[in-house]
Amino acid sequence: MSVEPLWSENLRKTYAVKGMPPVEALAGVSMNVHPGERVALLGRNGAGKTTFLRIASTLLRPTSGQIRVFGHDVSEHPERARPYIAVVPQEGKPFFHLPPREMIYTYLRARGLSRETSQSRTEEAIERMGLAEFADRLCITLSGGQRQRTMVATVIATQAPLLFLDEPTIGMDPFARREVWASLRDLTAKGSTILLTTHYLDEAEALSHRLYIVERGQVIVSGTSDDLKRSVGGTLKVSLPQGASEVESFRSFGEVVADGESLTIIVHPERLGELMELAVRRRLTATVGPVTLEEAFLRVVGRKIDED
Amino acid sequence: MRTDPPTTPIRQSRPFGGTGAFLWTEVLVQAHESLAMATSMVTQTVLLVFVYILNPGLIGVALIGAVLFSAFTLGQRVLNEAAYIRIDHKANDLYLAGPMTPEGYFLGMAGGILIVYLAPIALLGALAVLVAHLSLTTSLALLGLAGLVWLFAASIGYIFSTFFRDNRAIWAYASLFFNVFGVLPPVFYPLGFFPAALRPVALLMPPSAAAALLQSRIGETTLSTGQTELALFGLIAETALVFLFAIYWARRTVRGP
Ligand SMILES: Nc1ncnc2c1ncn2[C@@H]1O[C@H](COP(=O)(O)OP(=O)(O)O)[C@@H](O)[C@H]1O
Ligand SMILES: [Mg+2]
Repeated sequence: MSVEPLWSENLRKTYAVKGMPPVEALAGVSMNVHPGERVALLGRNGAGKTTFLRIASTLLRPTSGQIRVFGHDVSEHPERARPYIAVVPQEGKPFFHLPPREMIYTYLRARGLSRETSQSRTEEAIERMGLAEFADRLCITLSGGQRQRTMVATVIATQAPLLFLDEPTIGMDPFARREVWASLRDLTAKGSTILLTTHYLDEAEALSHRLYIVERGQVIVSGTSDDLKRSVGGTLKVSLPQGASEVESFRSFGEVVADGESLTIIVHPERLGELMELAVRRRLTATVGPVTLEEAFLRVVGRKIDED
Repeated sequence: MRTDPPTTPIRQSRPFGGTGAFLWTEVLVQAHESLAMATSMVTQTVLLVFVYILNPGLIGVALIGAVLFSAFTLGQRVLNEAAYIRIDHKANDLYLAGPMTPEGYFLGMAGGILIVYLAPIALLGALAVLVAHLSLTTSLALLGLAGLVWLFAASIGYIFSTFFRDNRAIWAYASLFFNVFGVLPPVFYPLGFFPAALRPVALLMPPSAAAALLQSRIGETTLSTGQTELALFGLIAETALVFLFAIYWARRTVRGP
């Protein structure tokens, strides 16, 4: 039996919709998450990320396929998988009439942790996630980002072996997001495993060991963010603000995109020198930067959309 | 990347695990709604005033009815709370995708709501005991029957809550059930005032069944042995059935279809 924290094969989910054709949200998803890994699930709105997370976290029945959490069949025995997991639901909110400190503490108690453990983990989470200044104010008085931080802190404090976080940093400021990243790194260092979704591609890159991109319910790419960047033809991006007229001369270097007057070329580092020489000869100014995961994502998913 | 096993030892949840802790959570959450505690008594108070004006001699019956009605409408609060925190807060996802048991979640919520709203109900109960001169055994019968009515209503409330996808629909429908079944049948007035043909129905509905049993104890209603048995065993059986179904249903509805 597999002891992967999460393993799925050919997982499918079709939603029945009253008076409408059924919606196929997952069309055969296979994936695995290894112990101690942080894996990001990326994809456009409606790609199927939440559906996958909800099935994996025992909140939704799959239509077919297999899925296991620490070797326990989630479809057959969801109650056996539950003690291992904790979930930040998409658009979840803490109880408005509890302050964050009580929200976290009572949640840990409800999960069966002792008073002492709950107490110390609560304080740790407040400290780690920067909630101290509003930890004793009712959540109803908190800003959207502060509430979201409370939700994430609540779930992180469980130190569950497997955590599912559905858009955990939505609405958070850049400092808060980094506190979340640090806490998640701490958790995996202690042995937990994490599957999260995000639309912040910098976050996926900074945080995840591996990522899966889903599009229309199918995994279209998986690997590290570097793998993904390489798959679009290079890890560097050269921008030529006046280069559009010379598009043909640069085609051989890699993927080129003309936008108005300017030209962008994605290139492998080893061909950068040659490209820059050509730019200088043509008297074009050029700036070089890394290809971001967002650019790679846009190309990979865009290509898939074009194919379909 | 580390590959050693998770640090938290994993043990499977025991039945009803998490009940006490979630009950306490719910007490903390509900206790902030002090206005709700006052408004929970409005219908009862209004009906008591009506009865007192129309026939002061029936105020004892009405006070007993008010206690039972209060226990019954706690089911509506369970319905509202369960649906609201599931739909608006995603509390089901947060709490149930974890070691806490679904039955603990249901019972904790119902118990927490009971505790928070208990004070005004106890006050009504004390008034009933004093005004209707209830004996100790009748007082205990009132306590036990109100408890059954509460458990029945809380179970129904939780089951109903799972059918809503939108809080707005609940505002429209939830009060209907609890008010109609709590006010219309002979809860606040003697069974004898109810059309004879419909009395068996009243004896099968938990709030009016409990009321009839108590009315017969204080001599305001005469019940045959068969009627007493119908009311008592009907109430016990219905409560047990609905409660067991609520536990089954709570477990089943953790996962969407
Ligand atoms: N309860 C539902 N009933 C019908 N269709 C649904 C339901 N939930 C999600 N869907 C559909 O399934 C697809 C995947 O949704 P979701 O998993 O929420 O996407 P994501 O989280 O990637 O944005 C979408 O087309 C969405 O409209
Ligand atoms: Mg989603």
